[in-house]
Amino acid sequence: LAEDPGARPGSVRAASRQVAKRAGCAVIVLAAGLALGLSVRHGLQTAAVFLRPASIRAAVVADRQEECIYRAIRSELPESAAVYIDDDPDHVQRLAELSTLWAVPQASPGTARWTISLVPGSSVSAGPAVPRDCFGLALKVRRR
Amino acid sequence: MTELLVVIVGLGAPGFLPALAVAGLSPVLVFLAPLVGAGLAAVAAELELGVDGSLMTWYVVVAVVANVGVAAGWWLARERWAPRADTAGGLSLVTVLVVLAALAIPLTALRGPFIGWDANSIWLTHALMVSGGHYELVTGLKNPAYAFSNPDYPPLVPAVGALAFALFGRGDLHIVAGTTVLLNACVLGMVGTGIAAAGVSRRQLTQLGALAAGAAVCLVGFALCGQYGVDGYTDLLWAGAAVAAVIWGLVLPPGPRTLVMAWICVAVASLTKNEGLTTGLALLVLIVLRYRPLTLSRARRRGRHPDSTGFPGLAVRPAARRRWSERAAFVVGPALPGLAWAGLIQLTGISDNFFKSRPNQSLLTRAQATIDGMAAHLTVAPVAAAVLIAGSCLLRRERKRLHFGNPAWLWMACSASLLTIFATYVFGGYEIQGWLANSVNRTTIFAQLLLYADLAIWLIIALDAAFAPERTGQPNPAPAAAPVLVATPALLPPGSSRTPTPQPDR
Repeated sequence: LAEDPGARPGSVRAASRQVAKRAGCAVIVLAAGLALGLSVRHGLQTAAVFLRPASIRAAVVADRQEECIYRAIRSELPESAAVYIDDDPDHVQRLAELSTLWAVPQASPGTARWTISLVPGSSVSAGPAVPRDCFGLALKVRRR
Repeated sequence: MTELLVVIVGLGAPGFLPALAVAGLSPVLVFLAPLVGAGLAAVAAELELGVDGSLMTWYVVVAVVANVGVAAGWWLARERWAPRADTAGGLSLVTVLVVLAALAIPLTALRGPFIGWDANSIWLTHALMVSGGHYELVTGLKNPAYAFSNPDYPPLVPAVGALAFALFGRGDLHIVAGTTVLLNACVLGMVGTGIAAAGVSRRQLTQLGALAAGAAVCLVGFALCGQYGVDGYTDLLWAGAAVAAVIWGLVLPPGPRTLVMAWICVAVASLTKNEGLTTGLALLVLIVLRYRPLTLSRARRRGRHPDSTGFPGLAVRPAARRRWSERAAFVVGPALPGLAWAGLIQLTGISDNFFKSRPNQSLLTRAQATIDGMAAHLTVAPVAAAVLIAGSCLLRRERKRLHFGNPAWLWMACSASLLTIFATYVFGGYEIQGWLANSVNRTTIFAQLLLYADLAIWLIIALDAAFAPERTGQPNPAPAAAPVLVATPALLPPGSSRTPTPQPDR
């Protein structure tokens, strides 16, 4: 244990200081260990929730839907097409990010040659402009 | 999963030699090499944006230059800086295995293709732009239709994602999120091995405690983030890198290798997110103050400056000038990649909505909401503060004998980060309640993880002290990180652990 300049070796004071110090160390080890342990436990519980089969299935569907829309953009629009995304804000972001490197999203409709949006898959009849249903969503393409 | 491992190996290969030069044959090498490779990829993306060409071309150039530079420097200084094992081979292997095992638990989430909102709208979008070459990158970032993607965000994650696209094509979009998760694991591996290194060269029980604490902190890192740690968000990446920088640069015994490792971690943090850049700059200032403290010379303390002309300020001693130059280089050098990106963004005229919008709520309202929001995610702070007080009262001498940095460094780093984030929320432009609800759990990850790391360090010190035999008056041997001081003594702080003389509490 740490040296105590004020205490003579073997004295009662030195011994009691040693005991106090060891008790303090035990408290620190317990407090730190408990905090770390509780956090680890919380993490494992959280992970168990989002690793449930239903969560994984949902993630797989979302992933496939995204890749389907990504491919639909590339198959339905000519390369470098100036597009305006006419949709709700969530879909605007989604379509803009998936258009990257193929179409060029426009901030205003005036400069766009095409308008695209996402619509419920079942409500769109299959045709040349709407090639596939992407897990409940379909890409709607209109020439301006 | 195989593709992700190939990408990490692809990053680790060009990063291996520089990482070996810095870390030696120590457990941290496994986690450092991919991060060095990721940093090289980010520099390549900066050159792609600032000059011309494609990421792959620049990546090859940057990797070759870095490796040739390291090899040449190594050859020139071969007698002073040889690769060496800092710890026994068996212990190194056990450390790597334990940390990897801890990280493997949260990484099981990779079996589900989780991808978060920002992972798509920011990082996948930017990765596609980077993979398209200079023209696509510049026009994409400047396109107002992409303003939602925070076009000014640094390029490390997009560059790594673009490398993955170059290796495997653009068929699997989830690969960008997957590589981010593996990089998250690498920075937590840096933190975990750093904490484990705190127990090396001590008695076996302390070593075991340090190993367990290091592994626990790796798990805590993912636990603090929940799904954000495994769905492509990058907050854990910058926060983990910054915490690793604190552990290696401000906690472990000072030395050239630990210093350079801290610098690399700061560079990774600053190339990942803007918060990482601001926090990284604060960390660099603290690190330089530890390694090059601001002390008055003996002559000045006595009021008799040897070169004094009688006009204060006119005479600056060459040694003092050199010292200030070193301090500036210690801060600017490691921050250069992050600052270069920020400069390029300004020069290219790229900006995002954040800097254009103005707050429409009073500062008091915003400050109160921010304090409430941040406090809700800092529940570990009272425990960490209590342990700090108890440890400082009971174990100050033990901490000093282990050559660990003063805990004030770590707490100053934590405070600096929290103050920066607080100011950003208070003076930022977005509606505060929604902004806090969407982000405060992520912006406080650095502070939370840092406080847990502090608890782990105190746990190791207390464990070592609790079972220590009575002192015989002989000085303790320097711990693991201290014997690696085999090179560049100029990097050491004055009175560092090479000398047995009493030293100030740094």
